[in-house]
Amino acid sequence: MSHINDAKYLIIATIILILFSTLSLLWGQFDISISTFFDYLNHKLFSSPATQDFTLIESIILDIRLPRVLLAILIGAALATSGAVFQAMFVNPLVSPGILGVLAGASFGAACGMLISEHWFIVQILAFVFGFVAVGFAVFIGSMVTNSRSTVMLVLGGVISASLFTSLLSIIKYVADPYSTLPAIVYWLMGSLSMAELNETLLVAVPITLSILGMVFMSKYFDLMSLGDEEAKALGVNVKLIRIVAIILATLASSLSVVMAGIIGWVGLIIPHIIRMAVGPSHRLLIPLSAVVGAIFLLSADAISRLALSVEIPIGILTSLIGIPIFIIVLRNARAAWN
Amino acid sequence: MELNPIIEVKDLHFSYKNHKVLSGINFELYRGEVVSLLGINGCGKSTLIKLILKLIHTDADIKIDAKELKSYSHKDLAHKIAYIPQYNNTPFNYQVLDMVLMARVTKLGFFAQPSKKDYEVAMAALEKIGMEHLKNRAFGQLSGGQKQMVLLARSIAQEVNTFIMDEPVAGLDYGNQIRLLELIDSLASEGYTFLKTTHYPDHALLMSSRVVVMHEGVIVADDAPDAVITKEMIEKIYDIKADIVTHGEHKRCLPIFEKSRQKDLHELTI
Repeated sequence: MSHINDAKYLIIATIILILFSTLSLLWGQFDISISTFFDYLNHKLFSSPATQDFTLIESIILDIRLPRVLLAILIGAALATSGAVFQAMFVNPLVSPGILGVLAGASFGAACGMLISEHWFIVQILAFVFGFVAVGFAVFIGSMVTNSRSTVMLVLGGVISASLFTSLLSIIKYVADPYSTLPAIVYWLMGSLSMAELNETLLVAVPITLSILGMVFMSKYFDLMSLGDEEAKALGVNVKLIRIVAIILATLASSLSVVMAGIIGWVGLIIPHIIRMAVGPSHRLLIPLSAVVGAIFLLSADAISRLALSVEIPIGILTSLIGIPIFIIVLRNARAAWN
Repeated sequence: MELNPIIEVKDLHFSYKNHKVLSGINFELYRGEVVSLLGINGCGKSTLIKLILKLIHTDADIKIDAKELKSYSHKDLAHKIAYIPQYNNTPFNYQVLDMVLMARVTKLGFFAQPSKKDYEVAMAALEKIGMEHLKNRAFGQLSGGQKQMVLLARSIAQEVNTFIMDEPVAGLDYGNQIRLLELIDSLASEGYTFLKTTHYPDHALLMSSRVVVMHEGVIVADDAPDAVITKEMIEKIYDIKADIVTHGEHKRCLPIFEKSRQKDLHELTI
């Protein structure tokens, strides 16, 4: 029965995620050996006697690496899940948070927030609001020219929406203080997990996790939605409600990823495609598996960005460099199925 | 046959913007019937079906199982009537079993996933129409006839007794058309109710308990197939000549080429 297979894929992916997370906690400029790590865990969890002084190790793991690992997991999961959900809602395998302009809109909103307010909450709200405005604008442009469901027009609408908000962002950069705010905005936009702090990460973890869980629970409706509105309605789906809730959740998750780590492209586009190629398009598996595999992908990309060179490569640049060749392969393989 | 019709439409008028599509439609569908809806393109038969299925909004007096259509949610309606649209491809190429399983989704609670029982119902539906060997195939790779059969299986898995089909044989090759009609016929003899639109008077004669003819937004005939499908009706609706002949236990409709018209066409091209 295929629901047992579904569970199998999810369990395997989760085990890989746990393994990669552990390795990410251990590897870095200061390597921690596995035996030291287990001694430390024993000491902390079961109060066994300390084999050495754990102060340094604790500070590296808890203060530096744990927030970063958590953030990579959250953002990878958020972007990949949102990508899969956008693709289902617009019945369009070519869209993603990046392509629909959500990331550009959210970055404009977040930059506005940074400019006008010190409050973290305002930055998050503005990022979400403009992320939502951007996807709305993309859909509006896409439907202006043709009434029918057009794959290409929606992508074009997204391109226009993204350029609009990128231009607006440039205005913000132009007026931002060149000695303090501007470098902060520029570095943050390149996409980086290096500024992760545990408190901020835990704060954003709640809404991101809730949106991902919401999308996972709704996943069984997405198969029906992708047949088109009429067929979905005839099968008993409340099409309007599911669509608006799903788009809000996907926009929220991807906008918050922008607030935390800038624009990290391609994850939302390629992860769902890779999973569809591996296990098929059924959203009951695609959505939760996108969350786990997206997390694995971003965790690996972050490990490469930290370990490959002596200086850190911004992760947004890295995901593009990895994502583009993968997407070209996906396009080649998927071409037949879209026609 | 029960007293209450499963579908009851009373004095229905409908317009798209200023364009009148349906006027004064009265229509009932009773349990156990196979009703063919005939008419040329644009006569309003697809619109009628969409209004009944609540795919187009209306305040008209339509009752489903003796209850106002307005009081139904899409979910409630899906527990009464299954819709088999003309197949179209989605960019996501689902497995056949997943396609059938979609009938079960709106029967589940918000947090529930399809259970073992749902898979069994889906498999039983595939077995009923003899498609179980295709369960792991990709829907997009099936032939047009197989796709229609899978959509029929999905409607069976929806566990309702009334099926509405929009031109079920459109786009199928000759053999698959007949095989699909046979399947519909055998499901009807098991007690399923069918309302289907069709472009083929001959198919309507072969396998309907009643034929409804629509023309320019009005129902012009609604009776037993033999009584409705006559030379005169074919000429009036389709503007062609046809012979109605008796073959075995059925009447059949055979179109006739008009030599005079061919000559006209020939002259036109010269």
